[in-house]
Amino acid sequence: MAGIAKNHDYHMVEPSPWPFVGSVSVLIMAIGGIFWMHHWTPWVFFVGLVGVLYTMYAWWSDVIKEANNGHDHTAVVQMHHRYGMMLFIASEVMVFFGFFWAYFDGFFRLDDVEQYARVAATGGIWPPTGIELFDPFHLPLFNTLLLLTSGTTVTWAHHALLENDREGLKWGLALTIVLGAVFTCVQMIEYSEAGFSFAGNMYGATFFMATGLHGFHVLIGTIFLAVCLIRALRGDFTPERHLGFEFAAWYWHFVDVVWLFLFASIYVWGSWGVAIHH
Amino acid sequence: MADIAHLEAHAAHDSAHDNHTPTGWRRWLYSTNHKDIGVMYLWFAVFTGIVGGLLSGVMRMELQEPGIQIFHGLASMVYGMDAASGEALDAGKHMYNVFTTAHALIMVFFVVMPATMGGFANYFAPLMIGAPDTAFPRINNIAFWLLPPAFILLLMSLFFEGTGPGALGFGGGWTVYPPLSTSGHPGPAMDFAILSLHVAGISSILGAINLITTIFNMRAPGMTLHKMPLFAWSVLVTAFLLLLALPVLAGAITMLLTDRNFGTSFFKPAEGGDPILFQHLFWFFGHPEVYIMILPGFGIISHIVSTFSRKPIFGYMAMAYAMVAIGFVGFVVWAHHMYTTGLSLDVQRYFVAATMVIAVPTGVKIFSWIATMWGGSITFKSPMLWAVGFIFLFTVGGVTGVVLANAGADRALHDTYYVVAHFHYVLSLGAVFSIFAAWYYWYPKMFGYMYNETLAAVHFWVMFVGVNLIFFPQHFLGLAGMPRRYIDYPDAFGFWNRISSVGYYITFVAMIVFFYATWEAFKRKRPAGDNPWGDGATTLEWTLSSPPPFHQFSTLPRIDSTKAH
Amino acid sequence: MVTGQFLRKIGAISAAAMALAPAFVMAQEQVAEQTGHPVYGQFHLQRAVTPIMDSIVSFHDGILLWTITLIVLFVLALLIWIMIRYNAKRNPVPAAFTHNTLVEVVWTVLPIVILIIIAIPSFGVLSDQLTTPDGQRKYLGSNIFSFGEVEVPAPELTIKATGQQWYWDYEYVDDGVSLTSIMLNEEDRAATKPGQPRLLAVDNELVVPVDTTVRLEVTADPTGVIHAFAVPSFGVKIDAVPGRLNETWFNVRETGIYYGQCSELCGKDHAFMPIAIRVVTKDEFATYMAAFKAGDYAAANATLVALQ
Repeated sequence: MAGIAKNHDYHMVEPSPWPFVGSVSVLIMAIGGIFWMHHWTPWVFFVGLVGVLYTMYAWWSDVIKEANNGHDHTAVVQMHHRYGMMLFIASEVMVFFGFFWAYFDGFFRLDDVEQYARVAATGGIWPPTGIELFDPFHLPLFNTLLLLTSGTTVTWAHHALLENDREGLKWGLALTIVLGAVFTCVQMIEYSEAGFSFAGNMYGATFFMATGLHGFHVLIGTIFLAVCLIRALRGDFTPERHLGFEFAAWYWHFVDVVWLFLFASIYVWGSWGVAIHH
Repeated sequence: MADIAHLEAHAAHDSAHDNHTPTGWRRWLYSTNHKDIGVMYLWFAVFTGIVGGLLSGVMRMELQEPGIQIFHGLASMVYGMDAASGEALDAGKHMYNVFTTAHALIMVFFVVMPATMGGFANYFAPLMIGAPDTAFPRINNIAFWLLPPAFILLLMSLFFEGTGPGALGFGGGWTVYPPLSTSGHPGPAMDFAILSLHVAGISSILGAINLITTIFNMRAPGMTLHKMPLFAWSVLVTAFLLLLALPVLAGAITMLLTDRNFGTSFFKPAEGGDPILFQHLFWFFGHPEVYIMILPGFGIISHIVSTFSRKPIFGYMAMAYAMVAIGFVGFVVWAHHMYTTGLSLDVQRYFVAATMVIAVPTGVKIFSWIATMWGGSITFKSPMLWAVGFIFLFTVGGVTGVVLANAGADRALHDTYYVVAHFHYVLSLGAVFSIFAAWYYWYPKMFGYMYNETLAAVHFWVMFVGVNLIFFPQHFLGLAGMPRRYIDYPDAFGFWNRISSVGYYITFVAMIVFFYATWEAFKRKRPAGDNPWGDGATTLEWTLSSPPPFHQFSTLPRIDSTKAH
Repeated sequence: MVTGQFLRKIGAISAAAMALAPAFVMAQEQVAEQTGHPVYGQFHLQRAVTPIMDSIVSFHDGILLWTITLIVLFVLALLIWIMIRYNAKRNPVPAAFTHNTLVEVVWTVLPIVILIIIAIPSFGVLSDQLTTPDGQRKYLGSNIFSFGEVEVPAPELTIKATGQQWYWDYEYVDDGVSLTSIMLNEEDRAATKPGQPRLLAVDNELVVPVDTTVRLEVTADPTGVIHAFAVPSFGVKIDAVPGRLNETWFNVRETGIYYGQCSELCGKDHAFMPIAIRVVTKDEFATYMAAFKAGDYAAANATLVALQ
């Protein structure tokens, strides 16, 4: 409230239409999603999706404006944002926790005799009957190296930013985005070569949902980094103030770490000592 | 609790500066004010509470007598079938299951959570810690505004095909176990329910992020975590449970969604899946969820007991860390909901032991409340009536929890009315009593008016009798073996079911008294004053005007750092 | 064991005390006579006819019910005392204490001790339930503080129960015969088995011999949903999960007919798929099974006394 004298550093946010507009869009998108899943029409879903995307754009534009106006994002408010982002990532970790649980339920408990239908369907052996596993040290290893490299390029960008090396920041970010995009492409190639399907078997469900959810996060992270690149090109971020960039980097590292868990547990451990078809 | 050495400027009186308060519909739809958002949450919970309460009323009417008396008629009204036909009877049986499911989902996600973590936490946690608002006011607003869409999705689910034509809605219980929620309900109703839970879950996670950040980062100068009021502690612990438990539910119901619509096999045994996997994931969320519902109540009761005893809280640190302990242990006891699924002996032994541990911190809380009252100078105003009622009824619900924790005894009681009685004692008589306690405690603060004390007391006594009459006999039904979620039962169970239904009608009268008391208070507009409860009420909200200014604490209060609570 | 008898006595006294409420006296007497189904107004567990249910009844009535009742009464007494002694009229000046290390330690340690005392029989009762007899292992029965006193023979009969929407299929696994058990509607029940309770009576009861350990395998239709097989007077409750074979056991000591009901929500007719088990003498069972295996289920049923 512009008219109020406040003697504290907190940001008293002006009323905003975006939460309400976003909620209505979510409702439309959810209803549309159900219509689509039941083969009625996909269009309601897309109307909602456009609303959600526009809300994100408008809302975060407001946040960026507030960040740049010089008085709203005080030190304590920046600390709020750090807490917020960390907590958000913590909740994301728990989503992956659920999908890892599903994978390990199949991995560890494939030969439980009391689960006779599962044993019949999978042969009670690992990998389950009819499943051809990926060679972890082929495309998956390449992707692992890609992501690890992208972790270093984003750190390069960060250090460049801290030393006010704008070129380094832009190139570091651009490289990270390219590596992220290549990762997504390689993952799509890998999916197309899978020796099992998404539907109809437990392994495919856990594999594709866990890695697919991760892939979706790679996509979000790539977009997040791209937004940062655009902002960097426009002259945003200073060595002292660059939370947007920092959060994109955190998010990217989080995506990176999730991949390492996926790689270690699903690709490597899951195929340990198993004959791989090339 | 926290002694206020001095307020550099009495925040209550800077409302004169407040000339930019948004007005009209924008004030609510576009709100970035924690108190306005808190009030919206409360009215939302009142509305959904009426819906959820009426659903249970129809069920109690059905269960009043053996046989099916109500639901085939309801079905014939909805579907236009001949009421005497077998078709109407089948539709009615399904509708009963839809009612139980909707009642539970509404009460859990749309009444108790919005009232405690939405309404009271939003309104009072910032006030108690001396903050001008929450950390993320816009996120706060979307957390609220996602709830009506989630509720609309749940209501829509009631009117879409569930198991087939002539069977609308999802009737598989709030636990949504597959295969009943997958191949058992092929229609869109279940998809609406799933997405409703997704949206409500996103709302809760966002709310949790906002509240954790607010409590960690916006406490007034001098207010360390160990001086923070217990309600803020309870909100902090609850928010962490929400943050870490709800994403697991989101994952699990996403798997349901893909199993239903995209051919995956997470829970399909014939394709290598495992229906029990869902139960693990669900209860990994579900058990913390029950603490999410009760922990804010613990915080509320502590303040009320202290205020009306005019005595500081006994064992503050133990009270705070008991909640932390309950929250922590709440994550490692989930499979005590699954003793009959065929878990191995060792697994069941572990969950028996882990579950019984929870009784210890819970006991600490009960006895500390009693010790807070001990030696006090107690006035039994209506908030205190609800608080004392809470302590007793929660004790009853808690001890039956110890019985059920023992897998050996649970063998006889699992999925019977004993379980229904147990969780209604801790939730319907625990959480809901704490909500009413908070309502009568903070009503004058929120709205600036004083309600009629006699009406509030009548509301309490009638409801106390009513809910006990509903739920105590259900222990007997459970012991005698009556299973849950039954539209009809062998005649032998008729006696206690009839008593239970009578209890509902009494509770219904109590709710009419509640609405009348609320209406009367708004109509009579008796000014409440800044602090109607006297010197026992020591937390910061009582230093503000009633209602508080649109933005409070423009100058932050300072908490004396030398004095302990 | 002395403790067990003591507990049984306490249980009996408590039951008697509760029965003082006149409305329940009749129900109490009925429970003493009738077994296998609930009676009108019943407020406690169904009467036990297996060593497993014996231990559950002892554990619940002898320990748990007493413990929780005393705790609740204790809390209630404290609250009432506080209301009388520490209301503003009697005690105008409040005390200011906020700590008392001794009582805090006591109310932390004492519950732990109580929980440990509960846990000892609890683990025993649980282990009995989940351990299929081998003929050597001794079971607790009513005396839950013993190390096992009741001998139970190894299983002689395996029955597989399959939950369907909404009825039960039973298979005598060793004999290779099976039957389907469906609830009788009111018309049929009045016509054929008027003496059997509404919603519990079925067309074909599962028949098992008395004093025989029965291994029970429970599952559900692979394309169906989850059910749960429960017989209160046996102390048996186990989920019937599609694609999963759960195992439990029972050994009934009295002939008669025992009812249970599906105990996991399974859809529209969840309330209408009862379990009815008819326990007959070993001789009767042998005759019954011989006729059944000869291929004629109707003839097999005819060997038993007709149910009213």
